[in-house]
Amino acid sequence: MSRIKARSKRVIDANSRQRWRACVDDHVNSLAWSPDGKWLAAASISGPITIFDGETGLVQYSLAGHAFGTCEIAWNANGTILASAGQDGHIRLWDPENGQERAKFPGGAAWVEHLAWSLQGDLLASAAGRKLRLWHGTDGQLLQEYPDHSSTISDIEWQPNSQILTSASYGGISFWSHESNESLRSFSWKGSILVIAWSPDGCYIATGDQDSTVHFWIVKDGQDLQMYGYPTKVRELSWNGSSRYLATGGSDITTVWDCSGKGPAGSKPIQLQGHAAAISAIAFQHRGPLIATASADGALIFWHIQTPKRPLVRATFGSSISQLAWSPDDYLVALGTADGVVTVCTPPHL
Amino acid sequence: MTTTVSSRVPVSILTGFLGSGKTTLLNYILTAEHGKRIAVIENEFGEVGVDQDLVIGAEEEIFEMNNGCICCTVRGDLIRILGNLMKRKDKFDYILVETTGMADPGPVAQTFFIDDEMQEKLKLDGIVTVIDAKHVWEHIDSSDEVKKQIAFADVILLNKIDLVAPEQLQQLETRIKNMNAAAKLYRTENAVVEMNNILNVGGFNLDRAMGVDTKFLEPEYPFEWAGIYDLAAGTHQLALEVGPDPAMSIALFPVKEATTEALEQANMAAVLRFSEDGEHYKTGQVIPAAQPVLHNLQLNDQAATFTLEVKEPGLYALFTQHLPSEFQIELRTDNNTQTPALTHEYKPKHEHDNEVTSVGIETPGDLDSKKLNEWLGNLLRTQGPDIFRMKGVLSIQGESRRFVFQGVHMLFDGRPDTAWGSTPRRNSLIFIGRNLDRAKLNEGFRACLV
Repeated sequence: MSRIKARSKRVIDANSRQRWRACVDDHVNSLAWSPDGKWLAAASISGPITIFDGETGLVQYSLAGHAFGTCEIAWNANGTILASAGQDGHIRLWDPENGQERAKFPGGAAWVEHLAWSLQGDLLASAAGRKLRLWHGTDGQLLQEYPDHSSTISDIEWQPNSQILTSASYGGISFWSHESNESLRSFSWKGSILVIAWSPDGCYIATGDQDSTVHFWIVKDGQDLQMYGYPTKVRELSWNGSSRYLATGGSDITTVWDCSGKGPAGSKPIQLQGHAAAISAIAFQHRGPLIATASADGALIFWHIQTPKRPLVRATFGSSISQLAWSPDDYLVALGTADGVVTVCTPPHL
Repeated sequence: MTTTVSSRVPVSILTGFLGSGKTTLLNYILTAEHGKRIAVIENEFGEVGVDQDLVIGAEEEIFEMNNGCICCTVRGDLIRILGNLMKRKDKFDYILVETTGMADPGPVAQTFFIDDEMQEKLKLDGIVTVIDAKHVWEHIDSSDEVKKQIAFADVILLNKIDLVAPEQLQQLETRIKNMNAAAKLYRTENAVVEMNNILNVGGFNLDRAMGVDTKFLEPEYPFEWAGIYDLAAGTHQLALEVGPDPAMSIALFPVKEATTEALEQANMAAVLRFSEDGEHYKTGQVIPAAQPVLHNLQLNDQAATFTLEVKEPGLYALFTQHLPSEFQIELRTDNNTQTPALTHEYKPKHEHDNEVTSVGIETPGDLDSKKLNEWLGNLLRTQGPDIFRMKGVLSIQGESRRFVFQGVHMLFDGRPDTAWGSTPRRNSLIFIGRNLDRAKLNEGFRACLV
């Protein structure tokens, strides 16, 4: 405890914690570590995708990506395929070993905005406009074309440890199976959901909303809790590995809800105060107690969830930090900025 | 690097019915502004880069949004598309959002007020509405969308003027001005208009909040029309055909010159005279022009001709209770029809309750900010959906600067602006909407004065 406190007073030079630093051509739109931590892929909003060596930052492959812009990238479970979705209306599959495009298939609308690989098997879901499609991710075979959503799909995610896919749009969340194109279940809310985040234990779905709220859906019974009081819309959500804490943005302050005991209803959240601009990205360690928060003024702060009053380390990176991603082993943090900087830093040692 | 207010990219919204010339205007802008990087959000599918411009197709996705006590509708697709666009390194100089013909501009405008990301990176410059001067008559009474497109506009292009007669155009202009007194009106053919009249107009700019044509903030008059005629001594004929009413009142005043100012001076006298009972005349009777009374013409659903007797030759202002066109009124001298040197149409007194109107309030004096907040808060809560736009400059007690504000429905934006200095402190504001009770709004506002 005292050791952490001593560290918290140090404001260090951003460079000293950087393992490597590189630049891509535009705003970093998506960052993804391969499951073995070997590669870090970065997509820029104008289209190109770069695969870096995670350890050294050497550029392994520069991929063309998508004309008009790449929206999202994601690795399959065993790290043999990098999938990308973009504003050319397509999903593309890339081979990290040779940098070749393996396949491309249409998302069904001009902008394919979201992708999600199932953790079991190689199912790949894509969302483009109102269209949700499910593909066999190794060969691009279309497995399901779900009925059009009533409005643009804002996010998709697989239920942890299951083969159930969830999609969010204005009006709620829908559950889908790969076996049928009929919705299994839905949670309704008359509002615009921007982002969904399953708790790793599968008990909660949290949503960040345009209406400056955060919702917790209790998956078992479909009840929901609504958290008010955010100054802006909420797009930044991150669960810790034990599913106890959900960190949320929507402000200059990171608000962390504690879901232990009776849950977050009526509880007073933990507030991480230290940024001077709107929170732009949040990432909990996969297993550890650290949390990285980033803001629109380029500041990155590391916190320990047990000592939320004091930032552990702070660093600045010039332009708004758009992406944060912990390496699979939790030893490194990758970040991407609005100016196209991609860098990998080491977190403070505990 | 944080985005500063000055680097916000201006956005214009283009509305107008199908066939009004909206697409012609869009193409005209892209040609005229060649050299600037313009992004166009259209309601068609696809994304095309033309030269340095970018055309993005959008589906109008209207969402309800609930922020605390304010509930409004926004365009979810715009938040997504523009949010994405503004992240790119290649910045745009201007963004044009074209709506579908039947669109309500409300949700589009509100999107720029309520979403923090939009507010930070973009500034809504204005709403430009293109109107087909010939065909709009088919919709103006029946279509809610046409009314809203007119009511929300900062700039209105009366397009295809080559297809309509001047009187019809004048009538349309008056009608539109009665609905939206704050909009700038331009007559166009093929939507050709000076760029600085439609782009960077500052329609939502608080510094320019009160660019209102005050002529149209005038109260309702008991007459609908006035014309100034040059009449020789002797007799003249006033001929009327069968019109919508069995009677019509007129008043005549000698005026010094055929100018708007001279007519305005006669206005107040005419209002007084129209409040009198006056004299009644039947067809064929003589009306002495010099007699200072209201002349009630009995028509009894028949064409009628009255004789005007002029003793002193000179300029006369003729005020008519109804529009002359409704009775095909002609003033003749020796069977020659006289053309008035100047005419003016007034706001009709009887408006349907659901008609879109502008209510302007102009008054000196300081406002009690507490009372004003309560009144305005209550007004927006209860009448927000009916108030499309409002803007104004206010004089708040104890505040040395002008307070400027503007709003769309329930969304309100206001702040202190430049100092009053030696200029007289006064309040001028305008509401554009439907079911607006002029008397009640005036009364409510004046009750907030210190």
